[in-house]
Amino acid sequence: MTGADSGFLFTFFNAEVARQYWPVIASGALMTVGVGLAVVVTGTLLGLLLALARALGSRLLTLPIIAFADIMRSLPPLVVLIVLYFGLPALGLPLSAFAVTWLSLSLVLAAYAEESIWAGISAVPRGQLEAARSTGMRWWQAMRLVVLPQALRRALPPLTNRVISITKNTALGSVVALNEILNNAQGASSHSGNPTPLMMAAFAYLVVFLPLVVFSRWLEQHWQQR
Amino acid sequence: MDSLTQNFFNLEVYAAVLPHLLAGLWTTIWLSALVIPLGAAAGLLLALGLTQSRRRWLRWTIIAYIDFFRAFPPLVLLILVYFGGPFLGLELGKVTAVALAFVLNNASYYAEVFRAGLQGVAKGQMEAARCTGLTQLQAIRLVLIPQAVRNVFPDLVGNGIEIVKLTSIASVVAMPELMRAARDAQSLVYNPSPVMLAALMYLALLWPLTRWLGRLEQRRARR
Amino acid sequence: MPILEISGLQKSYGDNVVLRGVDLEVNAGELVCVIGPSGSGKSTMLRCCNLLETPTGGTILANGHQVTSALVDINRLRQDVGMVFQQFNLYPHLNALDNVALALRNVQRRTKAEAQSLAREALEQVGLGAKAQAFPGELSGGQQQRVGIARAVALKPKVILFDEPTSALDPELVEDVLNVMRDLRGRGMTMLVVTHEMAFAHAAADRVVFMDGGVVVEQGTAAEMFEHPREPRTQSFLARYGSRLT
Repeated sequence: MTGADSGFLFTFFNAEVARQYWPVIASGALMTVGVGLAVVVTGTLLGLLLALARALGSRLLTLPIIAFADIMRSLPPLVVLIVLYFGLPALGLPLSAFAVTWLSLSLVLAAYAEESIWAGISAVPRGQLEAARSTGMRWWQAMRLVVLPQALRRALPPLTNRVISITKNTALGSVVALNEILNNAQGASSHSGNPTPLMMAAFAYLVVFLPLVVFSRWLEQHWQQR
Repeated sequence: MDSLTQNFFNLEVYAAVLPHLLAGLWTTIWLSALVIPLGAAAGLLLALGLTQSRRRWLRWTIIAYIDFFRAFPPLVLLILVYFGGPFLGLELGKVTAVALAFVLNNASYYAEVFRAGLQGVAKGQMEAARCTGLTQLQAIRLVLIPQAVRNVFPDLVGNGIEIVKLTSIASVVAMPELMRAARDAQSLVYNPSPVMLAALMYLALLWPLTRWLGRLEQRRARR
Repeated sequence: MPILEISGLQKSYGDNVVLRGVDLEVNAGELVCVIGPSGSGKSTMLRCCNLLETPTGGTILANGHQVTSALVDINRLRQDVGMVFQQFNLYPHLNALDNVALALRNVQRRTKAEAQSLAREALEQVGLGAKAQAFPGELSGGQQQRVGIARAVALKPKVILFDEPTSALDPELVEDVLNVMRDLRGRGMTMLVVTHEMAFAHAAADRVVFMDGGVVVEQGTAAEMFEHPREPRTQSFLARYGSRLT
């Protein structure tokens, strides 16, 4: 091995630095996964509620929902995060880095989830709901037992991609000092004067997200066969 | 209410920082205009390799590339390319590093979009084209790609919109695009209004595009 | 010399043997119809002639060229051996004129003006001169198939292969396409047609070939085949389709 090669390894894959800082990276990973899960749960639930509200057909509800979905899909998530981070304290609502990251990403995911689920609901032929209602089912029953299963099946592949995309944005939490992977890695890097923690961060992100991506690819292939 | 106006919609502050933000907006626009065609072209090549090649190793390599960059957060990629480059002896300019990170990331999404488009074209199309004597390359160029692009055009637009939004993370490496301009201005005036103004500018730029995208998607659903 | 000479043609997909040695000749100007039950290998045989499928045995000579040779120039071959598909396979992003002109421009390297004029001629020949600017989505199934025929004819091939050209059409549109095929025959085109249209085969074909189980069971003139079939398999097949002869 030439001097340059060992220099590269020493710089980017320094075993000593890795040993020292892996707990920090690991705790960052826990935070990333934690925020990610929280965002997925609240984001998709909120999106589902909004899509159902839209399915009710009342203009009073539909217009604000469309506006919300459009705005949240037109703004970069970083902008939403920053606006809430600086804006909420000014309104007397100071939130922790965790809370504000979770809130902004949830709102963004909810907008995309609403659009995907609504597209799925719209694609189910009207006759399905009519048939269900004509056997005496109430609206909500018909939705739950007949329309939603079909709608969600259609919505799932694009939704999975969106979920992955948005949960990767937990890395943005580093901008508001959330102790997730990137933030911790950056701190460790400057502390040790060595970029190895950044490589560890890259590895940690892959460990968290690559399985999700592979799963979504599998899901897409198997869903098509229905 | 008054606090809201004072902090978010402070017109005096808006007026003061507007020139600064407009310069940032311009950077956002040309950065997007640089990255979108490069990412799309790279994605198309990857998708063609993926769908047309008979070599398993090539297909698997392309899939690995796509999944890798779909799993990797763009912000982390940007930081690695931007700060890690010099360690590898690569003297990348700021713009080159940012553009490289964005294209690497985005080509994978474009590759997925084009893959779906190419696979969605009926098999009989290529057969018919080849049966009139067109070479494989000609058939791909004249019959396969035009139809693939037509089928996934809304997704291509959607991806373009995502790239414009993505440019905001370049603010983290001090690229003077819109978000950076807003945060710099904010630290100067000690008021969150510039960030709000930047949000409004993003909306002004992207909301109409998002609406147009919605119409494109509806038109496709009806076909 | 026959335009198309198939000798001992074999085709298997792994363990699945579809063609077990097919012998067939098509002479210049002939219209040969191939009939037979599903799974007899008729379409596979046809698709071997222009190398949409690769034979696993036997030889095919088209216009004197060895189709089955490893050195064959596929694209040159396909200008001599045209094809019309069951599903038409028109290019939806191009109008009728451009559908026909595409290969004229890009394969035969003609100028735009030349290509369009030849394409217009071909469209007129199939009775669709007025629909040159229409897109496939705006045409009926029968019209689309006729554009498909124009697309094959425009290249002035030596022989055209028809793979069940009317099977995907509504019954009332079938006659239009068959008329175009009769007209083509009248102009001297050599045609090899896989079809279920027995009345057409009986009336228009010079020779009829019956295939079953991957081989040619019997062949002869249309009159011989339909009125005096010799082989029991031919007889039972035609008996099932007897009602179609009226």
